[in-house]
Amino acid sequence: MYTASKAALATLVLALGATAAVRAQGVNGSITATATVQSPIAVAGAQPLAFGNVFPGVVKTVAYSDPTGGRFDVTGQGNAGVTYSFNLPTNLTSLGNNLPIGSWTGYVNGANSTSGGLAITPSSTSASSTLSVGGTLYFFVGATVTPPANLPAGSYSGTVTLTVSY
Amino acid sequence: MRALRYAFVLTATAVLPLAGQRPLTVTGIQSLTFGTLIPGIPSAVSRTDAGKSGRFDVGGPHDAQGQVTFTLPSVLTGPAGATLPLLFSGSDAGYSQSQNIGSQIGFDPRQPFLITFSGQGRGSVFLGGTAQPAPTQRAGSYTGMITLNLTAFP
Repeated sequence: MYTASKAALATLVLALGATAAVRAQGVNGSITATATVQSPIAVAGAQPLAFGNVFPGVVKTVAYSDPTGGRFDVTGQGNAGVTYSFNLPTNLTSLGNNLPIGSWTGYVNGANSTSGGLAITPSSTSASSTLSVGGTLYFFVGATVTPPANLPAGSYSGTVTLTVSY
Repeated sequence: MRALRYAFVLTATAVLPLAGQRPLTVTGIQSLTFGTLIPGIPSAVSRTDAGKSGRFDVGGPHDAQGQVTFTLPSVLTGPAGATLPLLFSGSDAGYSQSQNIGSQIGFDPRQPFLITFSGQGRGSVFLGGTAQPAPTQRAGSYTGMITLNLTAFP
């Protein structure tokens, strides 16, 4: 009887052990989380738009394709679409004197060339383009200055800003 | 002998509920996909987004309860070991007994959550989250592993 009781107790312990094992059962499964990050856009003012010497009362134009035309170099994710806009000065200034600048012309190309791309009119209105396969885009800028006849002599300057985003 | 018989009865009582029960299962069905990200701009995926949310299907004894817990990465890992921070918040996970993405009970994936299997012993867990690329985030593909742990209480 004593032996039987011990056996019963042992069996009960085993049974409780089995129950505990049931309580502990668990499984798991996994998935991945994924993301693709595009290259950040970088815009560099590569070359200033330089009118050189101008004379009072004489209009002067620099074409975007001229050696002294302005140029911005943009880099980013290859083949990615972008929007861009310009912030353009209405005057070049010198010591409070204004030299009007207007009639903007431009050209956009995936390559650093003023052929094989697209002529644009730089403005503050947002427009679209596409980075090249290699992730480059070049903007060429030209404009016309109209010096008044009484324009004081001096060195005039202004800032042209190009904003590009995905 | 009477005590021995009693012990066998107890043993049978403890073990028999396992017989014929649907086994616990967790199956990863769909990855959590953030898609294309722009450096500096956070991107959130809703748990109700059928195309991007992560999904696990779970199975267990019909009408029984289980507890789910996530093992969540704090970052995705990308090129040259670059990391992309992830954020999971209060209602980014959801459970659907009917396995319908449009019929979920939201819960916090950072906390254990009690689920009830359907009458057929099934259910689905959906997961959203937010990726937070830095302004200087390195370009490339990033991945991470999300694990769902399921424990049942018979």
